[in-house]
Amino acid sequence: MQNATKAIDLREIFLTFAKIGLTGFGGGMAIVALVERVCVKEKGWLSDEEFLHGIAFGQILGPFSLNSCTFTGYYLRGVAGGVAAAVGFMLPSFVIVSVLSWLYFTYHTLPELQAALKGTNPVVIGLILVVAVDMGRKQIKSGGKLLMALLAFLASALLKYNSALILLAAAVAALGLAIYKREAR
Amino acid sequence: MAAMLTLAWVYLQIGMMFVGGGYVLIPLMHHLMVDHYKWLTMREFLDGLALSQLTPGPLAVLATFTGFRSAGFAGALLATICIFLPCTLFMMLVGRYYERLKRIDVIKQTLDNLMPAVVGLIAAAAWNLGAASLSNIKEFAILALGFVIFKFSKLSPMLVILGAGVVGFLIN
Repeated sequence: MQNATKAIDLREIFLTFAKIGLTGFGGGMAIVALVERVCVKEKGWLSDEEFLHGIAFGQILGPFSLNSCTFTGYYLRGVAGGVAAAVGFMLPSFVIVSVLSWLYFTYHTLPELQAALKGTNPVVIGLILVVAVDMGRKQIKSGGKLLMALLAFLASALLKYNSALILLAAAVAALGLAIYKREAR
Repeated sequence: MAAMLTLAWVYLQIGMMFVGGGYVLIPLMHHLMVDHYKWLTMREFLDGLALSQLTPGPLAVLATFTGFRSAGFAGALLATICIFLPCTLFMMLVGRYYERLKRIDVIKQTLDNLMPAVVGLIAAAAWNLGAASLSNIKEFAILALGFVIFKFSKLSPMLVILGAGVVGFLIN
């Protein structure tokens, strides 16, 4: 799926996505929208339709934001373009988090930082709760799905089962149901 | 060396289970990093989550933080590469075959069926982390305030986390 008419410089791909990775605060859909604006609208690297087709699969594995970058890079310059886009997008966050991690693990015994982090901990849990509520309202549309969500919750919260195993079991059930529904049609 | 191989393998596995958006990483990584391998304490895990909200990157940069804890800068780099390797390869495969994949609705259907379980696991993560870390009424009040702000305002998580840090500093 390479663009044969004009090969785009790998360095330009890298720099474009590094800029998105440095300035694209807001995460998830906000980044996808930014990639679309820059690559489709401003640079005309690919059409809206091609972009939408490509990212249709971006929510299956990994972060939606990174996947939209990888797809666009791959579309432009094959594997090298995909890697350049992915590395470019992740590099700024990687550097920022590395520095923050270093600061954190060097100074996290300071009482001032301890006090500040005591304020952020409950807020992080609040954020996770909001995500669960919003995703639940979007994803749970039937009794069967509610049951699936409840079973996963109980298995993890009360029975303390391994979340990776719960996810694996749920994936097997989800695949089985999908195949069963297709056969039934 | 053996420790680095273990690190790489653990993050590759997480990368392969990284379905339906970044938040599934919270229950997965909580289990692996805190309960199973004990690379982080629960407090450090929560602090790492707060830090990951301060960058434009996905929540998965939590891997950079936990990798840093296990093996310094090299660990951070290895963990970050390994957690993103599966989805990057997957997206390039999709990029190659997407014309044909459009017709395979079983994949989409499976993801659709799986998402409720992901929601259940995320809710359980909030439950498990809350049960283990919240100890007084002040913290429950901050949680409730955070919930309301995230739910009903468009404020960026980065600002809310920084604000919470200032509040925590002032009241503790």
